Amino acid sequence: MERQTKPGLTLRPWVAMLIMIGLLLGGCAMMIPEKPQTLVPTDRGTAIFLEKYEFKRPPAGWLLMKNLEGGDFELGFLKVEKGAFPSQTTFIFDDEPFGNSRQLETRARQYCTRFLFDSGMFPEIKKQEAVELMGQPALAIHLEGENPNRNEKAKSKVYLIKKGERIISFVCTQWRPLSGDFDPEPFEYFETFVRSFKFLKPSFHEELNEKMRKLKG
Amino acid sequence: MDGHQRDLYLYERLNARVLGVSMDDVTTNKYFAQSLGLEFPILSNTLAWMGAPYGAYSDKPPFLPDGSPIRFGRRTVVIDKKGIVRYIKNGSPDNREILELLVKLEKEFQGK
Repeated sequence: MERQTKPGLTLRPWVAMLIMIGLLLGGCAMMIPEKPQTLVPTDRGTAIFLEKYEFKRPPAGWLLMKNLEGGDFELGFLKVEKGAFPSQTTFIFDDEPFGNSRQLETRARQYCTRFLFDSGMFPEIKKQEAVELMGQPALAIHLEGENPNRNEKAKSKVYLIKKGERIISFVCTQWRPLSGDFDPEPFEYFETFVRSFKFLKPSFHEELNEKMRKLKG
Repeated sequence: MDGHQRDLYLYERLNARVLGVSMDDVTTNKYFAQSLGLEFPILSNTLAWMGAPYGAYSDKPPFLPDGSPIRFGRRTVVIDKKGIVRYIKNGSPDNREILELLVKLEKEFQGK
């Protein structure tokens, strides 16, 4: 006897299986967190870095620096300039600058003994002044140094800023051969970068403080 | 060490204490601590008996390309209140990872 089957009945398990596969795939897609784009331009003329910081970025020709080792800086830009090596300018935002004091003056002293230490140029503090940045007390430090053995010199501007219980920094350093002239324009881009800088998310330490506050409850 | 000093106030709030252990002699450690402004103790353990149980010393060392041994490396160890080793990491310490762990341990001890 020939067995009669209704097409609709035989198809149903397949439909169910397809739906299940669809759900599973949908589930997989939802489980993979999307990585935020590194640098997203906004219609305000700024850029957002990893959904964490917003700032006015320097013009075309400046390259976003990647932190390979971790810990040296959080975010930075580099411009290789015309002229003999090492004609270039870098600027960075670093949330863990050299030193360990939470007092601005002491941290500045610690910072300046270690800053550019590996370059062997022992930069001299040309000027140090108390300023206010992001509504917080800060120090602006101007440094210059040279290493005749390597035929190079550097000029830097460092901002150390009190942010909550910690100190963060913005640093711009321009490198030139000894016979080269420093260029003020990159420092202007740096100033624009710093003064437009906004934190879009709480920092690691702010989040940690919140967890600790809940613990003490 | 600089990073630990930077986070020392957080370690204290999380009821943790930092100890540095070095194979250098006491005088070297003293000047090292002074130069960095370190406020936690650095123990001088020139015979390495302290490092050995925590794996900072090895009888079978890895070798550098020139064949010379590296018997000692930097190692961070977190020991909880009961004396149990809860964390080991070679190389430079990851302070954020350590702080996260300390929060977790504090939660455990509070039963939260």
